[in-house]
Amino acid sequence: MNRSKKYKLMAIIGSAAVGLSVCGAATEATTASTTATYNAAISGVVRPSNATGGTIVFNNSSVPDSTDPGNTYYANMWNVIRLYGRALVTYKSVPGSGGNQIVPDLATSLGQVSDNGLTWTYHLKPNIKYEDGSTVRSQDVKYAIERSYAKDVLPNGPGYYALLLADPSYPGPYKDKAPDKLGLTSVDTPDSTTIVFHLVKPFADFNYVVALPQTVPVPPAKDTGANYQLHPISTGPYKFQSYQLDKQFTLVKNPNWNATSDPNRKQLADKFVFNLNVNADTIDNNLIHNFADVDQAGTGVQAAARAQILSNPSLRNNADNALSGFLWFTYINSKVKPLDNVHCRRAVEYAADKVAYQTAYGGPVAGGQIASTVLTPNIVGYKKFDLYGATTQPHGNLAKARDELAACGQPNGFSTTMAFRSDRPKEMATATAQQEALSRVGIKATLQGYPTGKYFTNFAGVPNYVHQHNLGLAVGGWAPDWPDGYGMLYYLTAGPAIQAAGNTNVGELNDPVVNNLFTKAVATTDPAARNQIWSQIDRQVMSDAVIMPGVYAKSLLYRNPNLTNVFVQSYYAMYNYSTLGRG
Amino acid sequence: VITFIVRRLIITVFLLLVVSLITFAIFFLVPRLAGQTSYELASQYVGRNPAPAAVHAIEQKLGFDRPLIVQYGRFVKGIVMGAHYDSGPDRTYCPPPCFGYSFRNQQPVWPMLMSNVPVTASLAFGAAVIWLVAGTAIGVVSALKRGTVFDRAAMGVALAGVSLPIFFTGLIALQLFSYRWPIFPNLHYVSFTANPLAWASNLVLPWITLAFLYAALYARLTRAGMLETMGEDYIRTARAKGLPERTVIVKHGLRAALTPIVTIFGMDLGLLLGGAVLTEFTFSLHGLGLFTILAIQNNDLPEILGVVMLTAFFVVIANLIVDVLYAVVDPRVRA
Repeated sequence: MNRSKKYKLMAIIGSAAVGLSVCGAATEATTASTTATYNAAISGVVRPSNATGGTIVFNNSSVPDSTDPGNTYYANMWNVIRLYGRALVTYKSVPGSGGNQIVPDLATSLGQVSDNGLTWTYHLKPNIKYEDGSTVRSQDVKYAIERSYAKDVLPNGPGYYALLLADPSYPGPYKDKAPDKLGLTSVDTPDSTTIVFHLVKPFADFNYVVALPQTVPVPPAKDTGANYQLHPISTGPYKFQSYQLDKQFTLVKNPNWNATSDPNRKQLADKFVFNLNVNADTIDNNLIHNFADVDQAGTGVQAAARAQILSNPSLRNNADNALSGFLWFTYINSKVKPLDNVHCRRAVEYAADKVAYQTAYGGPVAGGQIASTVLTPNIVGYKKFDLYGATTQPHGNLAKARDELAACGQPNGFSTTMAFRSDRPKEMATATAQQEALSRVGIKATLQGYPTGKYFTNFAGVPNYVHQHNLGLAVGGWAPDWPDGYGMLYYLTAGPAIQAAGNTNVGELNDPVVNNLFTKAVATTDPAARNQIWSQIDRQVMSDAVIMPGVYAKSLLYRNPNLTNVFVQSYYAMYNYSTLGRG
Repeated sequence: VITFIVRRLIITVFLLLVVSLITFAIFFLVPRLAGQTSYELASQYVGRNPAPAAVHAIEQKLGFDRPLIVQYGRFVKGIVMGAHYDSGPDRTYCPPPCFGYSFRNQQPVWPMLMSNVPVTASLAFGAAVIWLVAGTAIGVVSALKRGTVFDRAAMGVALAGVSLPIFFTGLIALQLFSYRWPIFPNLHYVSFTANPLAWASNLVLPWITLAFLYAALYARLTRAGMLETMGEDYIRTARAKGLPERTVIVKHGLRAALTPIVTIFGMDLGLLLGGAVLTEFTFSLHGLGLFTILAIQNNDLPEILGVVMLTAFFVVIANLIVDVLYAVVDPRVRA
């Protein structure tokens, strides 16, 4: 058996497994009944029902970066888009860890890999229609992907295709000289139901990439560029009725949605109304007083409502304290002296006060759970370990810290600078608390605040600046684009990810062991074997001590008791919007 | 009077040009003098982890790579002649007065500004009527009943009104009348043309909250003005002539006392029309105030520039109207 055939066989086995899991998803989502209690929607479906009718009102304290599936980078919008857009693959609509599982959406199966991992093929399900009744073609998916290259018109979305596909200089469809505007040579559409991707190098996580909403098809004739956000053409259960920018958009039922091909969505409510730019405290009051059903941002209630909810048993029963997907941490730079010595970095790990860290972020409910790893518990590949006693000695292990300082040749401590985003009060509080904690072993950290907008572009993300200004420590946070080790770890810890500006590997870790493990992981198509590697990388990164994990962030979500089919989708770290009903 | 108005209109245009120049310099020239490159500016509008080519594309599209004088020229030309913007497959035409192209929304700024004006105008005019009537009435009565319990109570409340910020009184009002006793539940803006009753009922709380602040100020000003005026010789003369007390108070006393009130009213109303930021934020009203907050949060310079220009226009026009009224009332102003 040659390697090509081996990949094909694996793909077939994978497809069969996916087919079974889709059936399972539909069953699980409708039968996992849970009564409304505190945290009930994290592991079960609260108020499962197929009752139809009513209007579901969302409130959002901000505005979307865009409602165009090809032009958004907000997790809550990726969740909303599932109401009106279907990607090639998507996340299984179930509570618990199953919500991180990728399942086919427009495609009949997950990608079929060939050519030593360089070619990924997807076949579209038959009879998927747009809201106007026309049929979705693979060329429309290709066109949607081409739009992600047009950064001058659609600047917001992820840029993975330009990195992964073998045609990085493609200018986007608006400058495409091909008559049909389908000139991206690294994507083939041999027929209207097949799409083939040609990668520059193997990338086993490619299914996660096509799960991003940039594969939601766009009919070229209906593309209005920057204005497409005003009415994206629907393939999901709902379609746009109206959109007043920055104010409100409404979705109504799409009569041409193909329900039988879509076990991950429901079409229950008559209408969805999204009120934008609503005062955050007003949103909480609206939720509690039944004037709104969902906080679109999905980042949890504010301090006043949190106190009200937690102190009132009946309100508390409608709340869920879910992991938000973020890790809040402190970078420890491996190039700034004396932190270029791993023992000095480990001294920081041991001396840190994790309870103070947690308190700075709002405590165990609003802030999160004390972290000991870079991978968060809701990430595929996470394995619990604790090299520095973060959970067993959360106030710090000062004796071990002093031992490490001695091993580093700095028995009396050293001086460095700690950067943080000055317009983020929680980061400022964290920096202040850690400054005090580190001083217990003689590490003197001078605090230096920077504006969020330029934190990575001009300061902490510019290695030259970091070296010149002795920024040994920098407070940061991360949530992955997809829920596995690559999404969480690569841009924080891989050597090739280090950039001259806009760098997110602020620790500047360039460990051959880590880099080789990444290379191995992206070429490993077996998910179980790949997930083992993520945990190995996590352990190696913690051993290198370039990141001091603070908290696995959590938020207090409130579910309106009138909603049906409510559960926290692990991937989005908020309620799944595509199955909600009201009754 | 017509010559006076024409002269003031010409000055108004000149004034707006100066405002635009200063605002443009603050937002575009000052950062550049501080070392910001056009690449850095463009990188704020390209999403996360942008490739350099993407930043250059935005830099080129938004014109950051051009000299500042050219950018300003394009801005002014757009106001007078309109402009075309590349929005993908089509070129979007922004008719005059075109205030530029939003970096954030990828939309012309002017239509977005205009879509917010009815909300702010509804809020500002409604509140203005309440504070003008209530404030001056309380001020007059307080002046006439100087030293009484009413006077002291009214001035005490006025002091509280001036002191309490809107985000406090507004939240209290919402908590009491929207959530605890839902007399005005689920507040949201409804346009006057769609449903006048719903328009008014959804704006009552914001009107009262906003008017509370201004009415307090106007009551104190009116009271002070009335006290001063009612002590004038010509008031004594009017009373000596046997004029009814109501005529003495309203025609001779109040008219004179109102002159400074009218001046301040013009300024206040003009500023509010540019966006009642705190009231709109507290009550989630999508007017120019909320628009401004979003523009600042996103560092969307054309939007900020547009709001500043529009606010300046409202203030200048409101002052022009006040001056014209002065000119009508007092011929000495026309000289």
